[in-house]
Amino acid sequence: MKLAEELGKASVMFAMTLRYLLSTRRGIATAALAAVPLLLAGSLAAARVETFDILLFQILMVPLFLQVVLIFVTLVSATALIREEIEDNTLPYLLTRPVSKPAIALYKYTGYLVAVLVLLVPPLVLAYVVTQGYAGDPLGAELDVLAAFLGATALGGAAYGAFFTLLSVLTRRPLVVGLLFGFLWESVVGSIPGDVPRLSIIHYLRSILKDMIDVGPLAGYPTDVSAAAAAAILIAFTIAALLLAMVVFQQSEFKQKA
Amino acid sequence: MNGIVDARTVSKWYGEVLGLNAFAASFGPGITGLVGPNGAGKSTLFKLLIGQLRIDQGELRLLGENPWNNARLKRRIGYCPESNELYGWLTGEEFVESLLRLDGIRASAARTAARGALETVGLTDAKDRRLRTFSRGMRQRAKLAQALAHEPEVLILDEPLSGADPLARINILETIAKFARDGGHAIVSTHVLYEVERLTQNVVLIHNGKAIASGDIHAIRGLIDAHPHAVRLMTSTPRDVAQALAGLDHVVSIEFPAAEAVLIRTRQPDVFYRELPGIVVDHRLDVHGLESPDDSLDAVFRYLVG
Repeated sequence: MKLAEELGKASVMFAMTLRYLLSTRRGIATAALAAVPLLLAGSLAAARVETFDILLFQILMVPLFLQVVLIFVTLVSATALIREEIEDNTLPYLLTRPVSKPAIALYKYTGYLVAVLVLLVPPLVLAYVVTQGYAGDPLGAELDVLAAFLGATALGGAAYGAFFTLLSVLTRRPLVVGLLFGFLWESVVGSIPGDVPRLSIIHYLRSILKDMIDVGPLAGYPTDVSAAAAAAILIAFTIAALLLAMVVFQQSEFKQKA
Repeated sequence: MNGIVDARTVSKWYGEVLGLNAFAASFGPGITGLVGPNGAGKSTLFKLLIGQLRIDQGELRLLGENPWNNARLKRRIGYCPESNELYGWLTGEEFVESLLRLDGIRASAARTAARGALETVGLTDAKDRRLRTFSRGMRQRAKLAQALAHEPEVLILDEPLSGADPLARINILETIAKFARDGGHAIVSTHVLYEVERLTQNVVLIHNGKAIASGDIHAIRGLIDAHPHAVRLMTSTPRDVAQALAGLDHVVSIEFPAAEAVLIRTRQPDVFYRELPGIVVDHRLDVHGLESPDDSLDAVFRYLVG
């Protein structure tokens, strides 16, 4: 009975989060950004670029999708989960319900994860379809590329989302701190030779792509981390960041506006 | 400690600013008015009561329990925040229903209860409208609906009449009074003593984070009557409103602080608030908002605290 009641609360919080992230102006803006891979593939096909094939797709997608679209969509969506409730003075409506603060964070994060997958996966799959169709190759010929990018999207979305959720309960400016992390830390630390890139999320996403794709631009990427190990590390990081966010949220007061 | 709310020397700091300063009071059953000027500490006390803030010193109990991180206690309280922000992308019914479901109420029962609460506050016709299209008065009523829909034991209402139009005020006051008649307890904060006077005789006066007086409202009424009470009316026809009110004996002065506002000072606020709806209807005046600047109350508090 208690489990059913808790599941009911979770489903409501999940649905509210999903609807907020997908249907408001924010959702439209992030959907437009998430559609960039599809727009790019469509543009290359429409322009009849001769060299446009699955290799060029990867060459473009690694920096564009992995280092820009994925980070930006997850940042904008995850920092909205709790910080915007505080800034908009709507948090008291949730805090005066018999739902613990860690549960609020968890249910919202679940809604976030589904929302970013809904935003990011369809354009990526369609971009792959356009690429294969334009190159005249069978759809199933390069499934390793598609699977690797989808895996990186899911795991990257989970890890970045958990970290940005943590930022949103730790700092009043999660968007600024998140931008610094996403576009400075990730690109600088992720590019330093040696073991330093292990301190970045993007290192493990690149490791997944390198390990899963037979021929691609990351073939020479210096990593000895297998896709399975990278996935395990990202999942562990996600769980740790999320648990920390829940604990911080539990102990937080909201003095400013809420 | 056996009141609805028991506060024993509760202090709360915002950095170096003191929000509550050894606040000590006990709120009994029924309706209690928490009256004080803006910045007195009313909202801080309420945020402590709903567990949004944690006390720095002292002891605070709501229904005998510590409210900080007490999720179980939340089922027993209904809270109406001062802010008029709502989930603008939800309809009125979705808003109340969603929050009811977070109370653990099943979907079908939540919808029925949401419709009942919206009917109680007079928002049935607007239940399918998005909240972002609601006026201030409608927002106040929507907030009240979500606070009482799950039939809590205690309503905590932070300035529930602020900015509401005259008809919304009547509806809100009647709703709170009915809640109390049905056995509920309510704590209503306001910076306008006359607003709670229609609801209860029990008030706690708060100033600079301290409870400076509590008890029967009549004991302090005389003090406040000595100070003209200011009421700001928002209207598109300020001259017509001024003309309609100028003849009232108790109106001391009329000012026009803005293009669509009239500031009235009256020596008999209770009479003024009672007569205003009738005057608005009789003269077909467009009065879409009503506020009471707290300068008159502030004067009383300065007098009380020396």
